Amino acid sequence: MNASSSGKARAASSSQPSDSSSKRKRGIFQKELQHMMYGFGDDPNPLPETVALVEDIVLEYVTDFAHKAQDMGSKRGKLSVEDFLYLVRKDAPKLNRCKELLSMQEELKQARKAFDVDEEKLAASLD
Amino acid sequence: MSEIKCKYPILRVKLCGRFPRDFANPPSILEAMKQFKDPFEAAFEEQEESPPDSPAPPDDPDAPGRRLRPGLGLRPRPHPAAAAAAAAGHDDDDYDDDDDLLDEPSAPAPTRAPPPPPPTPTPPPPPQPPPAAASGAPGTGRTRRRKEDENMEVELGKLAPGGDPDKMAKMQAILSRFTEEQMNRYESFRRSGFQKATMKRLLVSVTGSQKVTMPMTIAMSGIAKMFVGEIVETARIVMSERKESGPIRPCHIREAYRRLKLEGKVPKRTVPRLFR
Repeated sequence: MNASSSGKARAASSSQPSDSSSKRKRGIFQKELQHMMYGFGDDPNPLPETVALVEDIVLEYVTDFAHKAQDMGSKRGKLSVEDFLYLVRKDAPKLNRCKELLSMQEELKQARKAFDVDEEKLAASLD
Repeated sequence: MSEIKCKYPILRVKLCGRFPRDFANPPSILEAMKQFKDPFEAAFEEQEESPPDSPAPPDDPDAPGRRLRPGLGLRPRPHPAAAAAAAAGHDDDDYDDDDDLLDEPSAPAPTRAPPPPPPTPTPPPPPQPPPAAASGAPGTGRTRRRKEDENMEVELGKLAPGGDPDKMAKMQAILSRFTEEQMNRYESFRRSGFQKATMKRLLVSVTGSQKVTMPMTIAMSGIAKMFVGEIVETARIVMSERKESGPIRPCHIREAYRRLKLEGKVPKRTVPRLFR
C-alpha cells in the first residue's frame, strides 16, 4: 500500500496521506502515554510493549470515534463538537469532563481577548 | 517577573510562561503548597471532587488500582470518610483539579495579585520531609511556552471559581497527606495529556476534512485521556484479580480492553476493518 510504505519511510512526518494502518503511526503518542499511564496507576516505567498496545488501542478508539461522529455529522452536513458530545452522552464522567474542558477553553479565550485589550491600553497610556 | 496587568488570574499565570513540563524534574508541588493558597488552588480545590464510584484500593498502599477520574467536578462526593481514608495514605478521590497545584508550582507570589478574595489560608505544611527544591527553573518555561500553553490552557482552565470551601478544605487535607510517590503520580496524572497538534493531525487524517476546530481537538484529547485511564485502571483490576504485581503487561491490557468492549465503552466498528 502506497500510504503505508511512504508512512514507514517518514514515520515522524506530519503530512501523512489518509489513515493507513495503525502500525505506521506507532510511537506518535509514546512519550505522553508513558506519563499518562503512570498517572493512572501503572509503573513509573511502563513496558514498551504495553505502551505500544495502548497506543494502538487509543488510535483505534479515536479513529472509530471520529468516524462515528462523522456519520452523525453528515446527517447535519458537517462535523462539530456537538457530535462528540452526543457520542459520549451515556458516559457521564466523559461528558462532564468534555463540557468542563470546553467551557474553560471559552473562558480562556475571553480572557485572552480582554488581555489584548488591556495591553493596548497600557501601551497607549505609556506613550 | 514583572507584574502583569491582567484581571484574569488564569491568564496572568499563563502569561508568566513558567511551566516547564519537565517530567524528569517536576517542580515540587509541596513547595508550592507551602507557599500560599492562591485562588488557583482554592478555585480548583472545589472541583477536585471525583466520582464516588472508585473501587476500593487494593492492599497495596501505593497508587496502583486506584481509580482516577479526571475532571469530574460536577459529581457530588459522599465521602465523609475521605479525610480519614486520606490519613491512611489512600487517596482515590479528588484527582480532578489538582492541575492547578501542579501547574503553578514555581509561580512566584508577587505576580499574582489575586483578584477574587482567596479563601482560607494554607493548611500547615505537610508532615513528610520536604522534597528537593523545585528544580524546574521558571525561566526554562519561557521558550517552551507555546507547547506548554497548548496543554496548559486546558488544564488551567479548570480553575473556575465558584468554590465550595468544604471541598477545597477536603482536597487540601488529602493532598497534604500524599506521600512523595503519590504526589508524583498525581502530578503525572494531571499534567499528562495528548498534544493538541498531534491529535488534530490525527483527526484530520481520519475524517479527511480539514475543518477540525480547536474545541473538537480539545474534546477528543480529553475523551482519549479518560479512555486510557479506564483501560489502565481496568488492567490494574485484572492484575489484582490474578494476583500479579509489577508493571502492566499486554495481556492485562487485552483483557481490560475486552471487558470494556463488553461494557460498551468502546465504539464498535460498523464496517469491518480490512487490510490491517
